[in-house]
Amino acid sequence: MNRAESATRLPASLDEGHATHPSSDRMAALEAQLNEAIVEIAELRARDALKTQFLANISHDLRTPLTAVITHAEILRDGILGDLSPRQLESVRGIISGGRQLLNQVGEILTYARGAANQLTLVSTRFAIQDVLVQVSALNESLIKKKQLNLTVDANDLPLVLADREKIAHVVGNLFGNAIEFTPPGGRVWLRATRVERDGSASLLVEVGDTGVGIAPEHHDLIFREFAQVDSTPSRPHHGTGLGLTIARKLVELHGGRIWVESELGTGSRFYFTVPFEQPEG
Amino acid sequence: MSDAAHVLIVEDNELVSSAMRILFESVGHRVSTAATIAEALGVARSDPAALVLLDLTLPDGDGLSLVQPLHAAGCKTVVALTGHDDAETRQRCLDAGCADVMIKPVPARTLVARSMGWLEG
Repeated sequence: MNRAESATRLPASLDEGHATHPSSDRMAALEAQLNEAIVEIAELRARDALKTQFLANISHDLRTPLTAVITHAEILRDGILGDLSPRQLESVRGIISGGRQLLNQVGEILTYARGAANQLTLVSTRFAIQDVLVQVSALNESLIKKKQLNLTVDANDLPLVLADREKIAHVVGNLFGNAIEFTPPGGRVWLRATRVERDGSASLLVEVGDTGVGIAPEHHDLIFREFAQVDSTPSRPHHGTGLGLTIARKLVELHGGRIWVESELGTGSRFYFTVPFEQPEG
Repeated sequence: MSDAAHVLIVEDNELVSSAMRILFESVGHRVSTAATIAEALGVARSDPAALVLLDLTLPDGDGLSLVQPLHAAGCKTVVALTGHDDAETRQRCLDAGCADVMIKPVPARTLVARSMGWLEG
């Protein structure tokens, strides 16, 4: 590469107005600086990949002892080693619930690590989004009842979508879980799917809404960023890995779709995501 | 319920294999455990199992390398028990000859219920 070529490729911030007649000393110094920066970026990328691999390994290794905890507790709960008193049973059920909660969070970290390492692949089948919405709402039935929330599910007469059903269910489950968590008792939550047309191709638009606490506009981008929670203090009232929405975004983008939120503090939130009805070949 | 059968648990975590032992013994089966590939082969060759529950990550290698030797030793059904829940792992297990793939932790009741089918099949 000659000097003139390299000068045009330098970032403007390094250039400082010397682009037209740079001294050869200055050019050499800038080139050295640029090369150093390139090496540094490569090193940082390698370290980031190592960190991601570490996350994947540790998540897997955490599952094994968790399996032992949950299975032994289930053996007690099921009376295989003898009947338990009602209070013992309640305590054992607590162990199982806690273990399963922890397992979900470990699963979330594993999915995140796979996404960060570009190891997530789509296994697409044709399915009705209505079935997924019904499945997700059924899974949350007891929580909805407990908080006395008013739920509506609306996804009638839509064509089948060609997508990874498990991953779409994960996204809907995550958004709906948040909607339930952040909505005070007696509020309203809803799942709605419609068809939208953009640039001549049809997409599925899924809306997960609630009348909960809402999110200030300045936090709308932050919540989709990894490890970010609007309130990240240890005393925050809502817990979790802070990865749920990052994973949801990754899974939607893997389908060639988009995810966003419309919300203001105190007015509830409406999360939307799109997925093309047909996945492009390959 | 099928009659008492020999069930071999290949799992390097003792806490997990002890839970499996309790579960399968509670429904009347005879249970052996092995923590390594070498140990599993030793058990299978001297006393072939009707059902093998196989962990994939073992200290002396990939659990899936055991599937064919276990069948050759006379073990009837091999089911993979894994902490990996991705589609690729599932396919790799089926390709290796596993009859089924279960993601840990399998609920105790599910494991016992499914084992009836595996032992009949």
